[in-house]
Amino acid sequence: MNAILEATGVTMQFGGLTALNDVSFGLSEGEIIGLIGPNGAGKTTLFNCLTGLYAPTAGQVGLRGITLPVDPARVTQQGVARTFQNIRLFPSMTAEENVLVGRHVRMKQNPLSSLLHGPGFRRSEADAAEHTAKLLAFVGLTKFSDELARNLPYGDQRRLEIARALATEPSVLLLDEPTAGMNAQETEATRQLIFAIRDLGISVVVIEHDTKFIFTLCDRVLVLVQGELLVEGTPDEVRGDPRVVEAYLGAPPDEVDAQIHAAEETR
Amino acid sequence: MLPTLLSQIVNGLVLGSLIGLIALGYTMVYGIIQLINFAHGEIFMIGAYGGLAMFTYLLPTFVQQQWYLALPLLLLAGAGVSVGVALIMERFAYRPLRNAPRLAPLITALGVSVALQEGVRVFYPGATAALPFPKVFVQGTWAIPVPGGTVPLRWTGLLIIVVSLVLAFALNSFVNNSRMGRAMRATSQDRDVARLMGIDPDRVIVLTFVLGATLAGVAGILYGADLGFINIDIGFQNGIFAFTAAVLGGIGSIKGAVAGGLSIGLIKALGGQYLPGGTAYDYVWIFVVLIAVLVFRPQGFFGETERVRA
Amino acid sequence: MTTTLEKAPAPTPEPRGRLAPVAPYASALQIAGGALTLIGALLPWATFVLNEGPYPEKATLEFFTAPLAVTGFRLHLVLFGIAAIVLSLVTVPARGRMLQGLGWGVVAVTLANTLYLVAEGGGLGTITAADGAVAFGPIVALVGGALIVLGGSARRREDKPVWAWRSNRYVEWAILLVTYVLLLLLVAAVLTSGGQGTAANVYSGAVFLSFLGAVGGLLAALQASGLLTWIAAVSERHRLFSVVVLLFVALALPLTQAGTEYWMTVAANIGVYAATAIGLNIVVGLAGLLDLGYVAFLGIGAFVAANLSGAAAAQFDIEVPFPLVMVISAVVAGTFGAVVGSPTLRVRGDYLAIVTLAFGEIFVRSSQNNIGGFTGGSNAIPGIPPVSAFGNDFNDELIIGSVELPRGALYYVLIVLIVAAVMLVFGNLKNSRLGRAWIAIREDEDAARAMGIRTGPVKILAFMIGATIAGFAGAFFAHKTGTVSYESFKFLESVTLLAAVILGGMGTIPGAVLGASILFVLPEKLREFADYRLLLFGIALILIMRFRPQGLVPDSHRRAELAPDSGVPPTPGTAAKAAAS
Repeated sequence: MNAILEATGVTMQFGGLTALNDVSFGLSEGEIIGLIGPNGAGKTTLFNCLTGLYAPTAGQVGLRGITLPVDPARVTQQGVARTFQNIRLFPSMTAEENVLVGRHVRMKQNPLSSLLHGPGFRRSEADAAEHTAKLLAFVGLTKFSDELARNLPYGDQRRLEIARALATEPSVLLLDEPTAGMNAQETEATRQLIFAIRDLGISVVVIEHDTKFIFTLCDRVLVLVQGELLVEGTPDEVRGDPRVVEAYLGAPPDEVDAQIHAAEETR
Repeated sequence: MLPTLLSQIVNGLVLGSLIGLIALGYTMVYGIIQLINFAHGEIFMIGAYGGLAMFTYLLPTFVQQQWYLALPLLLLAGAGVSVGVALIMERFAYRPLRNAPRLAPLITALGVSVALQEGVRVFYPGATAALPFPKVFVQGTWAIPVPGGTVPLRWTGLLIIVVSLVLAFALNSFVNNSRMGRAMRATSQDRDVARLMGIDPDRVIVLTFVLGATLAGVAGILYGADLGFINIDIGFQNGIFAFTAAVLGGIGSIKGAVAGGLSIGLIKALGGQYLPGGTAYDYVWIFVVLIAVLVFRPQGFFGETERVRA
Repeated sequence: MTTTLEKAPAPTPEPRGRLAPVAPYASALQIAGGALTLIGALLPWATFVLNEGPYPEKATLEFFTAPLAVTGFRLHLVLFGIAAIVLSLVTVPARGRMLQGLGWGVVAVTLANTLYLVAEGGGLGTITAADGAVAFGPIVALVGGALIVLGGSARRREDKPVWAWRSNRYVEWAILLVTYVLLLLLVAAVLTSGGQGTAANVYSGAVFLSFLGAVGGLLAALQASGLLTWIAAVSERHRLFSVVVLLFVALALPLTQAGTEYWMTVAANIGVYAATAIGLNIVVGLAGLLDLGYVAFLGIGAFVAANLSGAAAAQFDIEVPFPLVMVISAVVAGTFGAVVGSPTLRVRGDYLAIVTLAFGEIFVRSSQNNIGGFTGGSNAIPGIPPVSAFGNDFNDELIIGSVELPRGALYYVLIVLIVAAVMLVFGNLKNSRLGRAWIAIREDEDAARAMGIRTGPVKILAFMIGATIAGFAGAFFAHKTGTVSYESFKFLESVTLLAAVILGGMGTIPGAVLGASILFVLPEKLREFADYRLLLFGIALILIMRFRPQGLVPDSHRRAELAPDSGVPPTPGTAAKAAAS
């Protein structure tokens, strides 16, 4: 399999605590991977290692065969974008400005042209504005373009965060709990949005607690338990795996069955 | 040579224990509410003026003349005035900003600092110039014999060292062993969890300010008694030194504040003696140390790693 | 020109909660208030003549010869009283809000004068009855003002009316031109009101504050009427025209009554601090990095210029042209800015503030000790020659045809151009990739990094550009004052600049200028309060952070940045904003 993003033996220790232990996986082009696991399993830690926020104690992350640096800014530059578990928008900037910040790495503007506002500057600003308008339309937030991010409804803040990440023109998008706190309708809209993003040719990794959501969305599911990759496979494989039922879901089997049934019905 | 070195070390230890006493206030407040209480230096200064006011306007002559009567009263007055001002400051300037963005309380602290300093200058009679401070302790020096000469230690200097160390130990055992001390430590770890455990964070914060101000007030009196005069600038200057000491020792740590204070005192005394530029530049060295510590080891000597707020 | 007033969408019909019982009598209250204000203005204001001479404006009984020939603040009160009565009788939209503005104006004017009379006259006897003389003017006017406010508040809650006038370009240009000329006259009037504060003119402070109160009330009323918002919208439509005209209007200040050497000097000093404050605003307002030693860069610029133009350079027979001096000063200051900013790579938040404070103190201490012989130590560097061009020293008078410009006018012109350039820099940077990166860092540094922003260099750039601007201003400052001493660059000056930025409003241009103006004009006027200057400063900082952390001119769509979520009531400040923008 030709992986676009590849983690090999990623291990992360904080003091004596091992948050991630020898995690390896590959993400193919146009694939959606789900990352599930109980609280504290190390899902967000893995994201932080993938995006250069943490320097893994061992192992490395490569994008198209090139090792990624330990610097979020440069990782983003190279094409890995993310959203955050607790929404991290720029609260006092408008929706449009938030997305414009996402254009930062793709804009040709040096401090001098920023100062002088010459023709090149105007071209790049117009370009960015056009791109931003398209992205806001893509996530359905055109009407909120001049609204402050902090004033947007919760679900729309999540969508804006996705639009901001997309503005960096990523080849890989990492979504940390994109449907947390959403109702059924919003969750469904997010599912469609992620499919649409995949159709743009962007590979996606999604962290989510909602197994129903994950099983109906993803091509492949990774189960992370206590920092280790326990199971990896298609939703059907993972769903049937007794280790998952025991270790992750930790609930009586019939309850899990009910969840799985519910997931199947929506399919 | 040796006597010079030793007497500079003695000078450094005297100044350092005083700075450490002030630094305790910084370190405790920062530990609890993560505020650089800029005005803490002024609390120290106000303590000195409080004591002076008590001596000048309230004490009868026969008490004024007996230092063993006057000193305890002055210490009480200094601590009392400092605590009073600190309480007002906490209640009306800081508490309303408890949940404000982080720059707001810091700017407020600056405002409080300027207002207190200027308030004293404008309203305390004669405070526009340096004022003589009463001699409320044994005068003179103890000439410690060393090879090649003697090292002078003022009795007031000795008093500063002893009182500072005693108070620091007392504070340390209070924080570690008493019920309120445990509440303080809990609050500094996580205010919300502490609240769930039935601790009233406001009370803990008030207590922190009271303790810090008490020590600052005492330090103010000792400072005046040692130097023989006070002026309104002493708060800003020593406040910055004390803050540096608190950071150097590891902010949030009581041991650290004392160790940091002593280091600052030694840097100033020895830097002024042996580094280029002499005493004219001794302040500069302290600020250089401050910058270096903040940049390279913001957790200080005793600080836990990553106490620095992002 | 058609006059269409767009009706505000259905205002909520209920009167305000606690004032509900008063609501039916709102008009009566206002008429009574207006009448009382009028009567109060015409009554004597002081029972005896103050030591320093008849104050205010012949309002003591023995000078009370022509009650109807009111001048000064009493004239303002008369006009406000009449306006209040007229507004209560005529139905116009949002008159409740307008009346509130007028009422607060009356209260402010009355309080300023009353407090001064009571303080100077030695007690309440000054404004009530003493030695057989009575003077109830202040109390009557105060009650009048309070009644107007009460009546205004008790009226129904109304939305601010939205004016939708539009006309062709030339009519709108004409309107803007008139507005800006009026603005110039207003600025000149505010600046000169009360005159120069000296030992011989102790009333300047009270007269100035009273005038400021009147202007505030007037602007609040105009703001409530929607007029200022409309003018702001019109000027937004003709942005370039507005900018050009405003620049010319600013340059025309020497032609007004403010065109004397003294006021030109005051205005030039304000300009220096305004330019510096805008530079600080990049660091603090945009990038959110608290710099407590910023004034050091002004000092570095000034010292570099002093050495390049003064005796030091003359020794080597070097004569550096002034523009080059400015550039070199700015570059040197900018370099130091990068040095001071470099700890931002590792230090964040309030620790960074302390690092900048430490750098500032190192600068003060070193320049006090005449480090390297560059700063003159406590002797300062004297004898820096004035800027000259075309054989003309900038501090000379200048006569062009029949127009005679006062001494210092050329410096004023120069600083206006500098401030305009600095504003352009700030505005351009703010609306660029770099500016957005700064704001993003201020908002959430981790998220900014995740967006690909290299936060380290971007933050250092903020420090560098801010310092460059200050260095530029410093070079001007050195030539303007002729002497540079470390005394001008101490910690309190940094705090003052920071206070100017915060008072005006973080992240906005009019804010920094307004803040700098207020903080540097007030001490000129309030000489008798000179002792209290810093005390009031400290208290002001505390109060602003507590009650209006977003400043007088909040960043239009970021005004909630520092403020709690609740709405902020309109104040004269917001009105001043519309006038300034």
